[in-house]
Amino acid sequence: MIAKTKKISNYKQLKKELPTTRYVDPEYVYINMDTQRCKTCGLWVQEGDYVKLGQIIGEREGGFFKQPVYSTVSGHVEKTVRKLDSSGKEVEFIKIRNDFKDTYDESITDRPESVIAKMTKEEIVEIVKEKALIGLGGAAFPTYIKLDTKEDIHTVVINAVECEPYLSSDYRLIMDHPEQVFKGLQYLMQASGAKQGVVAVKKTKKELVEILEREVERFKDLNIKIAKLADFYPQGWEIETFKGATGIKVPIGELPMKYGILGFNVSTCQSVFEAVKHNLPVVKRYVTVNGDAVNFPQSIRTRVGAQVKDLIRLSDGYKEGIDKVEVIIGGPMMGTSVETDDVVVTPTTTSVLIFENIDYDEEPCVRCGSCIYSCPVDIQPVSIMNAVKRNDKKAIEALEAKKCIECGLCAYVCTSKIHVTDYVRKGKKLIG
Amino acid sequence: MEIIQKSAPHLRKPNANVVRMMRDVVIALLPLVALAIYNHGLTAVWIMLAAILSMVGTEYVYYQISDLVNKEKFKLKNKNFTLYNYSVMVSGVIYGLTIPDATPIMIVIIGGVIAVLLVKLVFGGMGQNIFNVAAFGRAFIALSFGAAVGVANFVDSEVGATVLGALSASPFADITVNYSLMDMFTGIGLPGTIGETSAMLILVGGIYLALRKSFDVFVPLVYVGTVFVLSLAVMVRMDLDWWYPLTHILSGGLLFGAIYMATDPITIPVTRPGRVYFAFGLGVITFVIRLFGQYPEGVVFAILIMNMFVPAIDYPQWARSKFSVRSAIIFTAVVLLTIMAIWVGVTYVG
Ligand code: SF4
Ligand code: SF4
Repeated sequence: MIAKTKKISNYKQLKKELPTTRYVDPEYVYINMDTQRCKTCGLWVQEGDYVKLGQIIGEREGGFFKQPVYSTVSGHVEKTVRKLDSSGKEVEFIKIRNDFKDTYDESITDRPESVIAKMTKEEIVEIVKEKALIGLGGAAFPTYIKLDTKEDIHTVVINAVECEPYLSSDYRLIMDHPEQVFKGLQYLMQASGAKQGVVAVKKTKKELVEILEREVERFKDLNIKIAKLADFYPQGWEIETFKGATGIKVPIGELPMKYGILGFNVSTCQSVFEAVKHNLPVVKRYVTVNGDAVNFPQSIRTRVGAQVKDLIRLSDGYKEGIDKVEVIIGGPMMGTSVETDDVVVTPTTTSVLIFENIDYDEEPCVRCGSCIYSCPVDIQPVSIMNAVKRNDKKAIEALEAKKCIECGLCAYVCTSKIHVTDYVRKGKKLIG
Repeated sequence: MEIIQKSAPHLRKPNANVVRMMRDVVIALLPLVALAIYNHGLTAVWIMLAAILSMVGTEYVYYQISDLVNKEKFKLKNKNFTLYNYSVMVSGVIYGLTIPDATPIMIVIIGGVIAVLLVKLVFGGMGQNIFNVAAFGRAFIALSFGAAVGVANFVDSEVGATVLGALSASPFADITVNYSLMDMFTGIGLPGTIGETSAMLILVGGIYLALRKSFDVFVPLVYVGTVFVLSLAVMVRMDLDWWYPLTHILSGGLLFGAIYMATDPITIPVTRPGRVYFAFGLGVITFVIRLFGQYPEGVVFAILIMNMFVPAIDYPQWARSKFSVRSAIIFTAVVLLTIMAIWVGVTYVG
């Protein structure tokens, strides 16, 4: 209790090894036009148009970049609708009726290895940009911008740590396609000029380590290492992963590129493989459906644009006899809880959790200090909370609230069951 | 079925709760209560009952009345009333154990009522109090009723001379002639307050709390460590033997105060460095009061004095959650200076 907490207890008794099913063929897919990072969008097709899998149907615009929008099925375009995306925001979606033929667009062609081997950094960056690849761990930051860095990169780190507890979509991906991950890493190293590649995993996931080590043998001529990291939260937080994988401490708020490190989520890495090898955008992904209020927890390989409620139905639906549930997109510590299950799977949807709702009785803060001991960025959540209550902006600033990575540990450990993380979020907003 | 929207995190640590923490303290204190009753018989029973019931009762009545005034229905779990979470119970047990056995029951009750009312309730209930409730109660009856208790010696007003009393009368005479260190450790048959005398049982409780992580083990370690180091300095300076530092540690409620009062999270700083400064301050004040002051016992006063500095230690502009190189150097310098001051100062004692 009054000590540093680094492990998240599995008191909900969630299953860790989940079976995988395939659900790649929803009847309709919904492709989001706006995203967290792109506020405006141009649509290039009309209602009734026929589109092919991998065809460009529009273009999103972020502040400083453009991003093509791809269809993830072949079929007919229907109306645009407004729905929730995985961050819980209502945005515009274009609805496409799947014709179940998977007719590929002409642009989707394989590149032979000999061609890829000769490609320059610029060419690979161009493909990554063209295929609208983004950070699939959840950050949704355009991958090409990262890859296009001018800094001298010595190491590419692939983050397969799966930061949050009880998620297994990345796990599934590596178990099923380790060679694609390694190929992706190879292309990333080629593009960035890095001499070294590191795949970071939790050492407790023995099967993963085994598979990856076998793969290292196959890719002998590449300098790839497996970093086996201890199992604690938030080990998947970039800075912790880099520290564990390379020994380099990147100060909070600075770009890892400055320190010669380029980090990618393992799904992102695999999407780079698909893009470079097959010229494919992200059309499918693994989504973990887990929780104590769903009948059949599992990992699902699904089409981007499918609906969360269908995934839940596929998992035999909600458990009987539970009258209040939480539907969480993302992990249990940082995921977004949504008000309805009518949500669309976007490329960054790693998981759907369905928890029985528990209302906690808050008590007055006993100043035990557990939140301070557990905070990974060494700030003082309880003092920030008190400053927020006093509306004391100077104090919030002095307490460095902006360093908070919203890992949720402070609320998780709180002896008085206070939602400390929410107060820190408020504090961050106050000094905005 | 209803879908509820909440903000992350969606998991909460199962065994983190106030009731567990406070209940653990009560459990850790039970052996001491048993020993008190074994040593002092019915007297101890009455004192303990008076201490606990006066504190618990005051809180109960206070919230009954305040709910009546606010036209709310009294609920055992309303947002202020904290009886169910053992916090006032903890104060009561600790308070009771610090009381000398010759104290009239009326005084025990008055001290308990005043302490809960003045220190806890008027500040806004649990979590808001600045002073340690039990320490305040103990100091209050010592200062107000020292004479009424009928013993000339104010603070350690118990039957017979205590170890520290003897030490205060003739600071550097070997007291192990009268009290063996082993007796001090087990606390059986030793004069003193009803519950503070057994170092052994206090330590057992402390180890239990440490294993359950229900208190911050740094505080008692630094506190006792400070007293030990300072008395060690005196030992070397005055050419004494090992009995001197050991007596300081084993007697006079130091261990009790360090483990049960100085760790009450509500009245101590929240950061690890803050807690180290706080505990160091406690050690220094306790030792200085013992050495130079007229009171042989300094623990409760040290705690109350340091309680006042908590807001300053926690001040957002400088409180940090980890030691920086700079703060570590400054702190080390302060520690060395303190030792030097004691080294020089001790020659003026007596
Ligand atoms: S949510 Fe922010 S303040 Fe709370 S523990 Fe995590 S980083 Fe620290
Ligand atoms: S906010 Fe919670 S965890 Fe932090 S000090 Fe207060 S009671 Fe402890």
